[in-house]
Amino acid sequence: MKNVGMTDGPTGHRVPGHSWGRARPGESAPARPGPAETDLGTLLNRVGRGDEEAFGAVYERVAATAFGLVQRVLRDPAQAEEVTQEVMLDVWRTAARFEPDRGSPQAWVATIAHRRAVDRVRSVQAAARRDDQAARPGEAYDDVAEAVEARLERERVRRCLGSLTELQRESIVLAYYGGYTYREVAGLLGIALGTTKTRMRDGLIRLRDCLGVT
Amino acid sequence: MASRRADLHTLAGPFALNALPPGDRARFERHLAACDACEQEVRGLQETAARMAAAAAVPPPGRLRDRVLAEAARTRQLPPAPAGPEAAGARWPWRARRVAARRGSPGARWLRPVALVLSAAFAAAAVAFGFVALDTQHTLSQAQARDHMLAAVLTAPDAKMMSAPVTGGGTATVVMSHREHALAFSSAGLPGLPAGQGYELWLMGPSGGRPAAMLPHPAHGMTSPVIATGIRTGDTVELTVEPDGGAPHPTTAPILRLSI
Repeated sequence: MKNVGMTDGPTGHRVPGHSWGRARPGESAPARPGPAETDLGTLLNRVGRGDEEAFGAVYERVAATAFGLVQRVLRDPAQAEEVTQEVMLDVWRTAARFEPDRGSPQAWVATIAHRRAVDRVRSVQAAARRDDQAARPGEAYDDVAEAVEARLERERVRRCLGSLTELQRESIVLAYYGGYTYREVAGLLGIALGTTKTRMRDGLIRLRDCLGVT
Repeated sequence: MASRRADLHTLAGPFALNALPPGDRARFERHLAACDACEQEVRGLQETAARMAAAAAVPPPGRLRDRVLAEAARTRQLPPAPAGPEAAGARWPWRARRVAARRGSPGARWLRPVALVLSAAFAAAAVAFGFVALDTQHTLSQAQARDHMLAAVLTAPDAKMMSAPVTGGGTATVVMSHREHALAFSSAGLPGLPAGQGYELWLMGPSGGRPAAMLPHPAHGMTSPVIATGIRTGDTVELTVEPDGGAPHPTTAPILRLSI
């Protein structure tokens, strides 16, 4: 692990927004030319041209994030697996439409994954299922901490979430990890719609600055 | 005007968290298209949300990789986003998906008529349902989620439409997508029911049945579409008459049985 576990991280090497999905323990040493070392955006570019090997490499990089996020929202590993498959196939199908100047590949994949998870969870049947296991505000935050593999990133996000006000943190966590709309979040927290929107935006801005996202 | 803009601007947070119901999202997307500063902010917030995604990472079961790679090998890819008005669709993956389905794979080609027929068939009922849904915020967001899922099913590359007569009168129409694991169900001309009763939709599988949805009360002879998710190959769609709140298991003989 070397120094990777430090919460403040060695900054010299860090690309904002890209710090995860690439730094794996033991992989840091020599730059090999294979797919494993290639920039994710470049890999996606190749995937867009039908390169199946590149897609395998993309899968290695993003599947854990997609699966973890989807499972976090759905809470059902079997459904999460199905939805993750849909997400990865969306990545395959639409890779040629990824536009690097619109955002990082990680954000692109995360958006697809979250979207798919939320589609599933907001549909009628899943909603009924979820009623028996409704998330309590504090819970999602702690579960996440348990489930995370990317230790460094987890620590950073956790620390930064901790720097938000309680309402900011709860509304963001419920919306993102819980898959609730802001109206539902307002209902769960018993606060006004306008307040909910503001807390989400202010909280995300604070989180963004804390995480050093540019 | 200024306060309205400011209000719109606060939607950047929920938008980046994907917490906007479809109506609000469409409104905010229109705003985004005309506001460079907002787009910049949204990008930063989406990157932030992606960091939360990374923090939740869990390795998926190993079998998933093989399945995904095998499935990809036989899945047609989409060309790069076209220039022109539709290009905007590529900016956000979920819109890209719909645009893609419209212009993409061979399966999508015959889909356009399906979507047209359906949206025509569903439109009148949907309008009526819209008024009902305005009762509460909660119902409203459910309705919007349903509309969103409906669009996903109708534009799925593998969407298939089936129609069948219902015992006792009326016609049921199903559009399903195994890819989306979901189907949309609507009906026309079902007989009216006494107060306290409703039509309940079921998914019956080898391992038993599960309630999928209660049909909304008909408007102009049609019920607005309901979505049932988690469909599996070999499932049968059934319709029964049940007490208004729905039953956990069918209590009357099915008046429709459709293999999907």
